[in-house]
Amino acid sequence: MPGSGGRRPSLRVCELGASTGPPARRRAWLAALSLLLCACLPRAATAQEVKAAPAPRDLGVSPAPRLPVIKRAPDFTLRDTAGRPVPLSALRGRAVLLSFIYTKCAAACPLVTQRMGLLHDRLVRAGLRRTTVLLTVSVDPERDSAPVLERYAARFGGPQADWKFLRDEPDRVRRVLEVYDEWTRPQPDGEIDHPARIYLIDPRGDIREIYSLSFFDERQAFVDIRALAREFR
Amino acid sequence: MRRGIVLATVVLILLAAGVVFAETCLSPYIKGLRGPEKVMYLWTLPADGHGSDYLTVIDVHLPSPTYGKILEKVEVGSVGNEAHHMGFTDDRAKIWAASLNTSRFFIFDVQTDPMHPRLIRTIDDVPALTGLSGPHTPYAIPGRMLVSMASGPEGTGPGGIAEFTNDGDFVASYKVANHPYETVVKPEFNRMLTSSWAAQKTFMSPRTTWDPKDISDTVLVWDLKARAVIQELKGEPFPLAARWALKPNATYGYNISSGGDSIWMFRMRPDGTFAYTKAASTGKGCAPGDLRQSPDDRYLYVSCIAGSEIQAWDISNPEKIRLHDTVQGMVQANMMHVTYDGRRLYFTNSAISSLDYSPRYALRLIQIGPDGRLKLDPTFVIDFSKAPDGPARPHDMLLN
Repeated sequence: MPGSGGRRPSLRVCELGASTGPPARRRAWLAALSLLLCACLPRAATAQEVKAAPAPRDLGVSPAPRLPVIKRAPDFTLRDTAGRPVPLSALRGRAVLLSFIYTKCAAACPLVTQRMGLLHDRLVRAGLRRTTVLLTVSVDPERDSAPVLERYAARFGGPQADWKFLRDEPDRVRRVLEVYDEWTRPQPDGEIDHPARIYLIDPRGDIREIYSLSFFDERQAFVDIRALAREFR
Repeated sequence: MRRGIVLATVVLILLAAGVVFAETCLSPYIKGLRGPEKVMYLWTLPADGHGSDYLTVIDVHLPSPTYGKILEKVEVGSVGNEAHHMGFTDDRAKIWAASLNTSRFFIFDVQTDPMHPRLIRTIDDVPALTGLSGPHTPYAIPGRMLVSMASGPEGTGPGGIAEFTNDGDFVASYKVANHPYETVVKPEFNRMLTSSWAAQKTFMSPRTTWDPKDISDTVLVWDLKARAVIQELKGEPFPLAARWALKPNATYGYNISSGGDSIWMFRMRPDGTFAYTKAASTGKGCAPGDLRQSPDDRYLYVSCIAGSEIQAWDISNPEKIRLHDTVQGMVQANMMHVTYDGRRLYFTNSAISSLDYSPRYALRLIQIGPDGRLKLDPTFVIDFSKAPDGPARPHDMLLN
């Protein structure tokens, strides 16, 4: 299992060929994969998207985010890949970043999980790993068995004590999805349509930000988590 | 391996071609339609102002035997709301319908049965909750709705932006110095622009009584995450609908000035501030009412409320836009909606009860040719002046 300090490819949404290091053939595949990921993201995209100029690097990140209390985070308990129950309420006192994915997802899920990995690295470097927990929940428990989810996690540097990958019996997962308004709609091609929001929950258990998977930027999430850490210091 | 790369490239090209066809003029957080529309939701009010406002459900599925017919009306159970604009939540599961006059919000479930929307919540006490009134456009951000509100709680003075959860629980409000009309967000840059118009008591009064001092001429630039205004762009009166170019990382967009008979361009500089310049005149007496865009960033569509025409502008050269085509005789043309493929444009012709000058209310359709030329479809007409339960004013549309 890769350790937390392991190198992760630096794929970014719609930044082509950004990875470094791999041989030329693998680079070509990574470029093709990143194109594929960009093309599949659920956004109002156009053909010009893949040719669009890169965004100015720092404009997308606000240094002074406003994080109003949106609502109480519904409590739940799901099992990690080792079968241990993880109650959300047991994580009070730490910020929680909660995402919903499925491992058969061809596009956005691996991209956002990779960004969670980059965020995890940033949190480690900033000394914030003790005050933050990342949770990645599978919306597809039938296909995502514990070993499948474990293998998926390992591709991105997880699971770790502060980055848990969760699944459970379908009925239990369904109840969690309902309270987070995370409906799922299986598609004929095996994909699952779902809102794919990412929730930032503060140490008191209030939702303070909701990110779109399509536009998730780990740099902004880091700034937001740091702001919560200061607020609850 | 080489064959694999070629195959992957072909798949990518097909995918890229596919994503050209996506519905426009929605929040970027909403997944736009990628196929033909089946149903239209049209926010409608009785012309005499006495009956309940309602959501008209219309069959727009071409092969359907009831194509072009009203399927049902979903009444909201209260009168005098002044049905105006709507917005999907980020997951397209709900529609928020705002009422200009009573400031109520009506939330419809359109996910359980898209052909039969169901009113699931009415929020009556919006001014008390938010300190704001005169809601114009509900706009989706992840898990929440931002609503541009024209004025203070009494219907006068400056307004702001109100933030709610998708379910209708109030989160926060942000007051500003003008009268917000519409919101557009470019997530890549963390920038939000809000256009502006007038206070609620002004726009609900006859046009002849409007005090020029109550009319805004500014567009505000926000740091979206900070919910903070960082720049004010001054133009001509009533800078209404605004559209950001669809290309990711596009730094420009346009909006219309109804009072200036003009189209304005906003462009972000490398430091994140904006330039704001007049891009074209729509012709004296047009009074632009709505602005829409084609999925390929090639055309803008402008409706002229007073000029009774719809204009297509070629924006291939963003800095030098030119009038491409017009359809005339569209009395009081106002709200528009372009389909996912850019080939059809629905439009209605009621603005506000205080402004309408013709009772010939209708929903019509314009076919858009491959050359971008506009042609009124004579076969698609829903005449709301002869609606079964009495004349009604049709305004904003959403497709599903």
